Amino acid sequence: MLGLLYAAPTALFVAVFFTAPLVLVTRMSASEWPLIAGDKGFNFPDNYSAIESNSLFWPAVWFTVEYTVLVTVLLIGMGLGLALLIQAGGKWKGFLRTSFLFPSAMGLASASLLFWGLYSDSIGPINPILQQLQITHDPIQFLGDPLSALLSTTFLIVWRFAGFYMLILLVGLQAIPHDLYEAAAIDGANKWHTFRYITIPLLRRSLALSLILCITGSLLAFDQFYILTKGGPDNSTITVVQLIYREAFQRLNLGTAAAISIVVLAVLVVLNTVQFRALRGSEEA
Amino acid sequence: MRNKFRMPPALATLATLAMVAVVGCGSTAATPTAAPVATPAPTDVPVATAPPAATPAPSVAFSAGTDDGKTITMWTRAATQFQATALVAAYNATHKNQVNLTIVPTDDMQAKVGAAAGAGSLPDIISGDVVFMPNWTSQGLFTDITSKISALPFASTLASGPIKASTTAGKAYGVPFIMDLSVWVYNKDLFTKAGLDPNKPPTTLKEFDTDARAVNKLGGSVKGSFFGGNCGGCEVFTWWPSIWADGQQVMSADGTSSMLNSDEAKAVYAIYAGEFKDGIVAASSKTETGPTWVSFFPKGNIGIMPYPGSLLGSIPSTVNFGVAPIAGLNGGQSTFVGGDAVGITANSKVSDEAWNFLAWTLSDYAQVEIVAKGGNIVARSDLANNKYAAADPRTVTVNQVAAKGVTPLAKNFGQTFNDPNGPWLVLTRDAVFNGASSSKIDSDNAAVTKSLAGQ
Amino acid sequence: MKRNVLALTFTRTPYYVLSGAAAIVFLFPLVWAAYASVNGQAGSGQAEGFGLGNYDRLLHYEDGLAQYFFNSVFVSCATVIVTLFVSLFGGYAFAKFDFPFKNVIFLVTLAILMVPYATMLIPLFVLLKTIGLQNNLVGLALVMAMFQLPFATFMMRISFEAVPKELEEAAQVDGAGTFGVLRKILLPAVRPGIITVALFAFLAAWNDFITPLILINDQSKAPLSLAITNLRQQTMGVIDYGSLEAGVVVMAVPCLLLFFALQGQYVRGFMSGAIKG
Repeated sequence: MLGLLYAAPTALFVAVFFTAPLVLVTRMSASEWPLIAGDKGFNFPDNYSAIESNSLFWPAVWFTVEYTVLVTVLLIGMGLGLALLIQAGGKWKGFLRTSFLFPSAMGLASASLLFWGLYSDSIGPINPILQQLQITHDPIQFLGDPLSALLSTTFLIVWRFAGFYMLILLVGLQAIPHDLYEAAAIDGANKWHTFRYITIPLLRRSLALSLILCITGSLLAFDQFYILTKGGPDNSTITVVQLIYREAFQRLNLGTAAAISIVVLAVLVVLNTVQFRALRGSEEA
Repeated sequence: MRNKFRMPPALATLATLAMVAVVGCGSTAATPTAAPVATPAPTDVPVATAPPAATPAPSVAFSAGTDDGKTITMWTRAATQFQATALVAAYNATHKNQVNLTIVPTDDMQAKVGAAAGAGSLPDIISGDVVFMPNWTSQGLFTDITSKISALPFASTLASGPIKASTTAGKAYGVPFIMDLSVWVYNKDLFTKAGLDPNKPPTTLKEFDTDARAVNKLGGSVKGSFFGGNCGGCEVFTWWPSIWADGQQVMSADGTSSMLNSDEAKAVYAIYAGEFKDGIVAASSKTETGPTWVSFFPKGNIGIMPYPGSLLGSIPSTVNFGVAPIAGLNGGQSTFVGGDAVGITANSKVSDEAWNFLAWTLSDYAQVEIVAKGGNIVARSDLANNKYAAADPRTVTVNQVAAKGVTPLAKNFGQTFNDPNGPWLVLTRDAVFNGASSSKIDSDNAAVTKSLAGQ
Repeated sequence: MKRNVLALTFTRTPYYVLSGAAAIVFLFPLVWAAYASVNGQAGSGQAEGFGLGNYDRLLHYEDGLAQYFFNSVFVSCATVIVTLFVSLFGGYAFAKFDFPFKNVIFLVTLAILMVPYATMLIPLFVLLKTIGLQNNLVGLALVMAMFQLPFATFMMRISFEAVPKELEEAAQVDGAGTFGVLRKILLPAVRPGIITVALFAFLAAWNDFITPLILINDQSKAPLSLAITNLRQQTMGVIDYGSLEAGVVVMAVPCLLLFFALQGQYVRGFMSGAIKG
């Protein structure tokens, strides 16, 4: 029973700040709930059927998925590449690790603001450099069209998070017993084979963890798009979380915002369950 | 930006003296009972006695509300901050009350007010884009000031657009704060260089286009025109007058149905689409989201563009420019009567002090010596021919066109037209940049109607 | 001999080119932000030449940089304290005791990880108002602590579990109660875990953007992330990039210093917590 006493703060905290809001958001999603006027009573399932007719919903879903795939592939690839670079040793090992990790200590909002300046027409350094080197003639509009806005934001995210995933994968790499590599070398395996048949399989767990973190994080992207693109141009970069924010604070409708939140929550729970199953399955195999 | 403006005492005294002097000059027709303006009124009862109905609107010295040294919090949006900070600075220097002004990024205004209203943490005064007022008043954000307004000696002369926008079910919740009108500005030097007559601004949208193209031929860093192509609020403000000038409406009178697919509207989009396609406007027109759309003309290398009348005063004297009313495709004139309206929030604990400030901003002194002197448009028709306006023909143009203007009203205006993710921006981007067909514009227009209906 | 050196240089060259390029890409934006914050730019606080004009403007921006800095420090420290308090006892309970609903409480705590911020913030916006903590720095810190709780509780639990039983038993023989054991024996043993939890909580709270965006309405209560974001569109016609980058530097420097000082801890926290657990 003493244990319960020690766990009481946790239980209380979780009940007030997690369970209660969760119950409330479910209730809100089934109610007419204007932001300013407050609860106006049940209207289930109006808020949910409104999602279907929201012209931004499906574009936001597709964009979020597209962004998640792009970012996940790039981040894990980059993280792995950097981890191998560090693992390869060399004089610069410590310096490199710190350089790669530095952006991870920075907030996503401040990183986004930093890149907002970096990409700007007026003080951005990239266009002058490119023009000086005569690589481009006209300045590139980094956030000007849907594709470049997506790529510019992706670059920011890779810059900000690559070090983080490098660290996870580096820990995995260092846990691989060295004699496995030696044995492979004796067997005459080349570098690619060693990587393919020793490194990757033994890194499975770290890779799976990276995958889960990266997918969940990308599906919930907000700060970077709110600050860099505001969902533009042409509503091409609206994520699902931005849509929730817009419903609540631009259209002043907490009910529909709550309904979308519940849908997102459901998708995430299913997705995470599947991923954890897969992770556990791969471990048992 | 500091948000508290305090002058040194000596300056403050000077300002007070100047104020009394000005009001004194202007108040020859005043009834002798009018209280001196600088004396703080002991109660919240307006001191000025209402003039007899028969006398013409007099410019009396008056006092309203309470000036007892309270702090009044106020939000305004970045778009009108120059004028707002000037008014607040002058008020703080001469009153016991102190207005604490916060500038909110223009795009965030609606979200911020909504969140604060939902949380019950609004400031005492909100000055917001006049087009937001119908929504805010219908949500009960503001306190009813109908009787306070009508007690003002100059009530009948207040600009009607902002008052109408702030009135719901016969109750008035706001007064004009910063008046703004859209006009065309053109660079006379560039006109001359391009072989155009600098004293003959265009009188139709077609001529506007021809002139812009002529200036654009000068080449170099000179561009024919500019517009905020990723800014719904800018487009509303600068393009709709052309539609009105052609005799067409943009919405039904109740603001629930969009008519932005009319032939007149489509013709207007086509003009701007052509300017973008042919490089008459700078390429960054497409990405301009609003914060800097007014920053290019004052640099002197834009030929002609729609511009806020409220910012004419901020164009440097090195730019030799003229002002013309916005015209329709084949003539006519109109303008968007916009700017900020201001209201006192429903739960403010210092509403009498807040009213003291608001009433003061509409006084002869504030309107003439701060608003008009700063090159801005006064909010009272009886002061339209003030000495500063008379001295600048450009301001006269602005004041004249005001009478032909429109303040469009709709409850869901903000989320439809100003929201960067709203349906109006989809329509204009389709029409101007994406070469949309006429039927695509029709379906985009249906989405605008849907949003206006709150769906 | 000579050939060997040549061969070595040759195989090493791609390594140096690759790592050099990577390091430049990762460090360039940070260096540039620092440069842009002192470099002259028309319309900013530093109109021309080099100088601290942008920082000076930042100092006097709205409620003043000091106020925003204080808000951020207050919220971050409060988040760390609340997170540590709750997770220390919680982790101890989950690691060393058996009690009813133990697994339920633990799993529900971990489930916080699965719920999107936005899903929580919409109801919290309403809930905090009813308990009077809306638009309030304490309320903000409590919400941020809640978001930290899964990682912190998990981390503290495995830290306590890693402490050998013999240590505790020896203390219990000496007559110490469970609290005494916790205070005298276990606290020093789980110190690395505490530092990791504190560091993560601090960085997360300092850098959080969407939580204050939704929960804080007064500019005077805004933490740095929110205040600096507002700063960029404060003046019509001008975007003050100079002050913006100065703000980015002000936000980043404490994080980078903290990270630099505790880098080993950060990395070790990862190894023991996030991965092996």
